[in-house]
Amino acid sequence: MSLTSLLLTPFVGALLVLLVPGNYRVIIRLIALLTTAVTAIGAICVFAAFHPGVADFQFEQHTAWIPAAGLSYHVGVDGLNIGLVLMASLVAFAATCVSWDIERQPKLFYILLLLMTGGAIGAFVSLDLFFLYFFNELALVPTFLMMGLWGRGEQKNYATFQITLYLTLGALVALTGLIALYGLSGANTLDIVVLKAWLAEKPLSHQVQALIFPLLLFGFGTLVGLWPFHSWAAPGYAAAPTATAMMHSGVLKKVGLYALIRVTLPLLPDGLAHWTPVIAWLCLGNIIYCGWLAMRQRDLALLLGNSSLAHMGFCFLGLASVSVIGVTGVVLIMVAHGLLAALSFGLLGHLVKVTGTSDMDKLGGLLRPLPFIGAALVAALMAGCGLPGFANFPGEITVMFGVWKTLPGFVVVAAWGGLLIGGVYMLRAIRTVLHGPVKAEFARVEDAGCWRKLPFLVLLGALIYFGVNPGSLVERIKPAVAEVVKAATAKSPATEAAHTPTATAMNTAH
Amino acid sequence: MEHANTTVTAAAPAFSSRPEDLAWFILLLPLIAAAGIAFFVRKSNVLSAVFSIGAVLAAFFLSVGLFITFGIGGEATVTTPFSWIHVGDLNVNLGVTVDRLSVLMLLVVTGVSALVQIYSIGYMHGDRSFSRFFSSLSLFTFSMLGIVLADNFVMMFVFWELVGLSSYLLIGFWYEKPSAGDAAKKAFLTNRIGDFGFLIGILMVWAATGSVSFAGIAHKLGADPAALGSMASIAGLLVFCGAMGKSAQFPLHVWLPDAMEGPTPVSALIHAATMVAAGVYMLCRTFFLYQVPAAWPGPLSFLGSISALDIIAVIGGFTALLAALIAIQQNDIKRILAYSTLSQLGYMVMAVGCGGPDAAMYHLTTHAGFKALLFLGAGSVIHACHHEQDIWKMGGLWSKLPVTFRTFAIGTAALAGLPILTSGFYSKDAILDAAITGGHPVLFGLGVLVAAMTTFYMLRLVIVAFFGAPRTEAAGHAHESPNSMIWPLIVLAVPSVAVAWLPLGDFLSAHFNPHFHPHEGGGIFGPFNHAPLAATFGTGALLFGAAAAFHLYWNAPKDPLPGQLGLIGRAMKNRFYFDEIYDGVLVPLHDMLARLADWFDRWIVSGLIIRGVHGSTELVGRALRLVQTGNLQTYTFMFAAGVAVVVMIALKLK
Amino acid sequence: MSAMIQAGLQHYLIVSVLLFSLGLFGVLARRNLIVIYMGLELMLNAANLALVAFSHFNANLNGQVMVFFIITVAAAEVAVGLALIVALYRKRSTAHVEDLTSLKY
Repeated sequence: MSLTSLLLTPFVGALLVLLVPGNYRVIIRLIALLTTAVTAIGAICVFAAFHPGVADFQFEQHTAWIPAAGLSYHVGVDGLNIGLVLMASLVAFAATCVSWDIERQPKLFYILLLLMTGGAIGAFVSLDLFFLYFFNELALVPTFLMMGLWGRGEQKNYATFQITLYLTLGALVALTGLIALYGLSGANTLDIVVLKAWLAEKPLSHQVQALIFPLLLFGFGTLVGLWPFHSWAAPGYAAAPTATAMMHSGVLKKVGLYALIRVTLPLLPDGLAHWTPVIAWLCLGNIIYCGWLAMRQRDLALLLGNSSLAHMGFCFLGLASVSVIGVTGVVLIMVAHGLLAALSFGLLGHLVKVTGTSDMDKLGGLLRPLPFIGAALVAALMAGCGLPGFANFPGEITVMFGVWKTLPGFVVVAAWGGLLIGGVYMLRAIRTVLHGPVKAEFARVEDAGCWRKLPFLVLLGALIYFGVNPGSLVERIKPAVAEVVKAATAKSPATEAAHTPTATAMNTAH
Repeated sequence: MEHANTTVTAAAPAFSSRPEDLAWFILLLPLIAAAGIAFFVRKSNVLSAVFSIGAVLAAFFLSVGLFITFGIGGEATVTTPFSWIHVGDLNVNLGVTVDRLSVLMLLVVTGVSALVQIYSIGYMHGDRSFSRFFSSLSLFTFSMLGIVLADNFVMMFVFWELVGLSSYLLIGFWYEKPSAGDAAKKAFLTNRIGDFGFLIGILMVWAATGSVSFAGIAHKLGADPAALGSMASIAGLLVFCGAMGKSAQFPLHVWLPDAMEGPTPVSALIHAATMVAAGVYMLCRTFFLYQVPAAWPGPLSFLGSISALDIIAVIGGFTALLAALIAIQQNDIKRILAYSTLSQLGYMVMAVGCGGPDAAMYHLTTHAGFKALLFLGAGSVIHACHHEQDIWKMGGLWSKLPVTFRTFAIGTAALAGLPILTSGFYSKDAILDAAITGGHPVLFGLGVLVAAMTTFYMLRLVIVAFFGAPRTEAAGHAHESPNSMIWPLIVLAVPSVAVAWLPLGDFLSAHFNPHFHPHEGGGIFGPFNHAPLAATFGTGALLFGAAAAFHLYWNAPKDPLPGQLGLIGRAMKNRFYFDEIYDGVLVPLHDMLARLADWFDRWIVSGLIIRGVHGSTELVGRALRLVQTGNLQTYTFMFAAGVAVVVMIALKLK
Repeated sequence: MSAMIQAGLQHYLIVSVLLFSLGLFGVLARRNLIVIYMGLELMLNAANLALVAFSHFNANLNGQVMVFFIITVAAAEVAVGLALIVALYRKRSTAHVEDLTSLKY
């Protein structure tokens, strides 16, 4: 299965759904389910066929599109995105499964969901930054529509407004950065491979890099919920329909991080070095501040949203280390957290469906009537506070190992946040929602039936598989990360001359 | 011995290519049982018990085989066949260590686990989550075996956390009871504080030595004892933090008594015999970390030559004393045993700190047996008295529960350290001896004092609960427990006595010290020959404690102590108010910060900034929309005027 | 020198500007949509005149080609515009712009 066909599958599915009359609901659902299932299987095949230990792009396809502007259709996977593609397709499948109960305008809903899926996969596999940006926007717009049309809760409109504002502005800032990169590099291309080779020859000056970098950092950072641009996330996910929350928190949020790693590490090494301290401090904002926020929430949806932000903090921490171990850990967390966030929000969706609320004060003792959902939720919350056996643990611990040598103090604080604060709110959630005597009104709520378990089992299975055997991911990730970190840490001749004239003199002497 | 070694090796290829690979079977059998129960036989109580007990029994017999092969004759081996994470200079493998330390611990864990599971058939009979119980027990056994077999820090941390999880699941087994849910949460979080230090310690050691495997670090430290630099003692103490959590050392001891909310077999297995011993085991496993010279970073340099081990010894000794004091004034039978466990764990940690890991492991092994026996006996008593746990509501049980009484008495004797007859005497003696030879006379005195107190509170428990007249109806109508509960008691009573005659101390000493030679004049009177001071004082403490207990409690209608001790007694009864202090300081601190963050987010970020941007945009919009009159000619006029302005500017610029 | 003044480019442009201004005034000041429409046509033709004049004096046919386009488009525009006005009148019984301000805040 080529990447192009993998990428096109969801769009073809969306087209098919478009052709079916709106009242044939079952057919629409089946088409969407089949499409995402095919996508998932295709992604698994690509993942399996991917050669570990190779740094180069694989499954590469390249076609010129607008040669005059230097734009080309260029897709390929390497260690940075292979895991994300797999994760995105699994989450998309799960999100389609849990959307079975959408009653209002299912046709439009599924079209938007499939567009989101296609956009997310497209953003991950595109090696031309124009297409990366384009596909990301293609996936973001349905998010806003779905939240506005199928969202829940009193805060729905405000949350939709806020998320739209934040994400559009963030994307705009990032776009400015990309355009600046396009214009100032002089390479007349946004193809990452060409651009990388070009900038390795003629790197941008330190000042220019230090100016472009914050545009990309805060632009893409807003998409991820980098502190202090985080306040859209929790209310947004609380108001979004289940599938949208799963797709956005799981998949689309990773696009920003992925783009940061993909673009800044190899292209703007000096800018990164200049801004590393800022990233390190801001990530503590995510880990500690958002952790405290999560501790304070009485609504499970807000708690999960804030905890997801806290996890993103670990990604930024790993990024700030600019080390092979740290960045490998970041990619691991991205995959793991995608699966985990989708799982948590999926389970939350079921909980809200059967009980009608996500207010923790109203819930209680649900483990008795909901043995499967309850057990899965325990697993998800435990994975969320970094329990070994789930994929988050190897990711977080790898980040900590990677960062320890450069920023030990930050690791201490981050470990406190991850182990302690994370533990406190996750266990509080279990205690209030699942433990304790069951309330009378919830004594007869319905657990997930046979087929309804499928999406959760898929996600849980993937989490445990990568948790027990992280090597299958690490071996694929490692070479590509080594490559970008090498580019990020190699001092350009210009800066070296600026900082250490003697060293340059010695080099020339040789 | 030579002969035994070769025969086992020859027989082994039937199972696998090398006998040490059997360790993988031991590790995975309980996991397979746990998964099998959870996925396939959840509905059947009988099959669940069969799966779980079958797996742990098989693991036990394999452990016996390994013990014979490696414990007695074989060389220590480490096999690391699986690469877990390998990136940069972080290299984590999944491997097993098979040496004297781990095979002994394998025996303890699988043995106690098997007996506790058999006991649980009777104890948990009729519980509607019977299969979940066995599944969780199997999961726990798997995690614990993982700690025992781990050959590197990361793998140990992984199983460390998994033990925390299974303990959480088992303490909160009756999760509908709010107190059980709270206790489970508390146990997990308190352990997490320890794990936090443990993790930082691991990172520190890795950064300094470039390895996470025990063999690699030991090798590196052997070649260069100063490899850890000025952080050597800090790193050691941080790793010890993990042990403080799991082994419930002061100030992280508060979770253990609450953990008694779990079913009694769980208390016996996890919170007496195995999980809480994990900390001590870990200290013994990583003892090489503590053998390097003391070194402190600048601000702490005033500590000078005080080593991490000294601090560990003091913490252990203090915990032992504190817990013994609290135990004297508890009335709940399980809580007395819980504090006794704390106290004995403090003893073990003190032994490690005094430079006697062999003594600590010795006591760990014997303690696992007799403390599990005591807990299971307490479970039998509770079962018989219709879930009454207050000893002052029992009495006269010795005639009604003959087997339980006899085995409980054996356990008490072992815990008190009755000379010659019981295993507890020998291991306690080894600890006291370690304190003397380690040059800690104060801790030796403290150990003797705690030994006297141990005898005192255990005899108080026995006298009040088993003798005198029944104080309540329930105690009067008590009847002996079913056979599945009685037999494990009898089996566990055997090692409490029999281990006394095995040269276990020498066996362990040889592990830690390759040049070790067994003492002359060993045998059952050995301690009086080679450590007369420790043996004499230990026996004296026992006699003193026993005399005091008989004097105060024989035929006492109510506890005479609170009146005599006054304020101190109240503090002892209320566990020295540690829970209140934590609840009053630590929890509100984080809650306050959380409140602050939430307030900031709600009012400043979301309120002022977001709504500010929102509001100002809207305000501008409101002003600008006045221009939209809807009249075509206004628009046209503005359009024409705009064109005129643009044209004028263009002309000007020219 | 003949009595007749040779008409130069400026004369054409002045006429064109006058026509354009008249048209603009009609568009801005008159109330009836039909009259506004006529003003609009006047402005278009002013532009046409300017284009033809430029074309003539620059000896370049581009301007005249442009004029043909404008005439065609204007014809189409008139057809559509008048139809709209008629439809509007039928619906609202008025062709006065000040009555047609429903597209406001």
